[in-house]
Amino acid sequence: MNLNIKADKAQTYDAIVIGSGMTGGWAAKELTEKGLNVLVLERGYELKHVADYKNAMKDPWEFPHRGRITNVAAEEHYATMFFSAKEGSQYLFANDKENPYIQKRPFNWIRAYHTGGKSLLWGKHTYRWNPQDFLANAKEGIGIDWPIRYEDLVPWYTYVEKFVGVSGQAEGLAVLPDSYFLPPMAMTAPEVHLKKSVAQKLNRPITIGRVAHLTKAMPQHLAVGRTDCQFRNRCTRGCPYGGYFSSLAATLPAARNTNRLTMVHNAIVKEILYDDKAQKAKGVRVIDQNTLEVREFYAKLIFLNAGTVGSTSILMNSKSSRFPNGMGNDSEQLGRNLMDHHLAIGARADVEGFENDYYFGARPGSLYIPRFRNWGTDKRSYLRGFGYQGGASRADWSRGAAETGFGADFKTRMTQPGPWKFSLTGFGEVLSNPNNRFYLSETETDKWGLPQLVFDADFGENERAMRKDIMNDAAEMLEAAGFKNVTPYDNPVAHMGLGIHEMGTARMGRDPKTSVLNKYNQVHACKNVFVTDGSGMTSSSNVNPSLTYMALTARAASYAVAQLKARNL
Amino acid sequence: MNRRDALTRAAWLLGGTLSAPTLQAMNRWEQLVSNGRTSHQTNSFLTETQREIVARTAELIIPRTDTPGAIDAGVPAFIDLMLRDCYKKPVQDAFLTGLSDLERKNFLTLTPDQQTALLKQVEAEAQTSSSPTYWLLTKELTLLGYFTSEPGIKASFDYQPIPGKFVPIKIKPGQKDFMYGNQV
Repeated sequence: MNLNIKADKAQTYDAIVIGSGMTGGWAAKELTEKGLNVLVLERGYELKHVADYKNAMKDPWEFPHRGRITNVAAEEHYATMFFSAKEGSQYLFANDKENPYIQKRPFNWIRAYHTGGKSLLWGKHTYRWNPQDFLANAKEGIGIDWPIRYEDLVPWYTYVEKFVGVSGQAEGLAVLPDSYFLPPMAMTAPEVHLKKSVAQKLNRPITIGRVAHLTKAMPQHLAVGRTDCQFRNRCTRGCPYGGYFSSLAATLPAARNTNRLTMVHNAIVKEILYDDKAQKAKGVRVIDQNTLEVREFYAKLIFLNAGTVGSTSILMNSKSSRFPNGMGNDSEQLGRNLMDHHLAIGARADVEGFENDYYFGARPGSLYIPRFRNWGTDKRSYLRGFGYQGGASRADWSRGAAETGFGADFKTRMTQPGPWKFSLTGFGEVLSNPNNRFYLSETETDKWGLPQLVFDADFGENERAMRKDIMNDAAEMLEAAGFKNVTPYDNPVAHMGLGIHEMGTARMGRDPKTSVLNKYNQVHACKNVFVTDGSGMTSSSNVNPSLTYMALTARAASYAVAQLKARNL
Repeated sequence: MNRRDALTRAAWLLGGTLSAPTLQAMNRWEQLVSNGRTSHQTNSFLTETQREIVARTAELIIPRTDTPGAIDAGVPAFIDLMLRDCYKKPVQDAFLTGLSDLERKNFLTLTPDQQTALLKQVEAEAQTSSSPTYWLLTKELTLLGYFTSEPGIKASFDYQPIPGKFVPIKIKPGQKDFMYGNQV
């Protein structure tokens, strides 16, 4: 008996953070810096910043398949082929074969199971949501209203931006609120031309992409060992400079500096343990992904940061007499309202002229065209809007495959920069819909005995109507700039999951009858559990969501610690 | 949706960035996977004669001039490896069909000028094909193998593994392209 108590004590922390990615890192940083002893549980293997970026410094010829995906890798990474088609970054994506799931309707679940998670692989476009993003649901009668407003997040946006390091240009636009910026990256000559043409002819602003790269490292960045972006654009292999923001390079080192961080790897959380008597969570049960050994850890506070789908599935698996359908699922909304951004649509063009213009360096970012539809006086037949990312670059030697000719002259030609090409890709908002969901399979399990997830979600009429504008408006802007061979495209196979902006499934709201989390990302019916990744999102905006997850996490951590100190948790 | 559909769909998304042969290959993914191998083979994909034809084709695409050629850069072995590891049976078969056609025409015994003339004819035919052909695959893989090889890069480009900055610049006509090492 005595021994058990001692053992329990050794496994007891002030707080447990589940997941070490984008938001898990922030939870770990904030909670440790506020004096808590924190255990971070990571389901994947340990990956060390710098030391384990095995491909980061490799030259092209060091890859046997020169970056192409092999048959074997394609079988193992079917969901992530779109991204892991690169030989250098494949090791950072989860193996789909070993981690299966079921697609009732097409859904690609893209995962990164190691320290830092998907924060090592994100596109790094970093935008504040605007005030309308938090109001639209209530105004339009879609889903439920957010329990918070833009103003609730403003101080937290600023707080995380300073630590993250966001490169960008202040524009003073209502649709795209400015961040706290590091110097912007440069635009190429055709990009400057597009910006001017579109401003003059269509009155739409274009800005340089706001990306989480250190264009000028500040003391808070240097303090955790990060330094300036080197413009290699090899980000997906891991950045030894800490040039881009990841939890591995930034928040986890900050947490470690407090000496209050403990990390356990290979720990797949099976469930959160509920204490019926105390009416709150008491800890978590984990399965070692290699040895299958089951262990328990205990804490007063639990932060669930396993990524939208991961976090919600942990809640679903956390069944008790109080929560027979999953922790916090009194509303039956757990797993519902799955959102993503729709993409793979836009336009391309050839750029004539600018032959003497070029650029030095590989820019890890692009242009950004903020939403202009259903904004101000513009009114469309569909709801919400979309933005674009894209830019101009000069074609390289690979253009030769599509050209006729071969031999000495052809060889020489391929060593010179090719013509400019322009490309714009739209990212559109997806509406909240209770029928877009995932749930636990009743028959299929994975090798750890956990139920496989069944995805059942698709874009709706609103998204399909929006896509027409995304395509046509892209073409219109490229034409306004006088570019040639403008080719709009709408890829009919774009589907949920590929945007890797999965959101919802444990949404925030005021009413416990219709939502899972309250305005502090706290499970309504289990107050010492906070879910602060994308699961809590009540709507999806059309801008990239990571910055908002980070702001929500820092805000929730601050609230949680205050509540803990006031003995309310 | 099953895994093969997912692959086909993902491959479609790559349409904007991949060249025609690879796209064509990937569009047929469902079929490919069903016939596919799932493990690496250790043996060479091509016979010695086939490899000689591939080597000769590659060298005619990227010949040795004052800089190294395809053979100097190890392209024939690279094509063999890629066919084995990155393409599945229907594409491999299409490749072999084109190859045996050249074999039948005694490609290796022709003079260099005759070989060039024959390949020009093969190239013209390939333009009208809607599926991968020997020519398209060889050309794409020769370019990839050569312009990402150490000799190919160092002879052809201003290689900048760590540029350190991104700045718009002006270039002079005929200036070599930059290479940044982010292509894989």
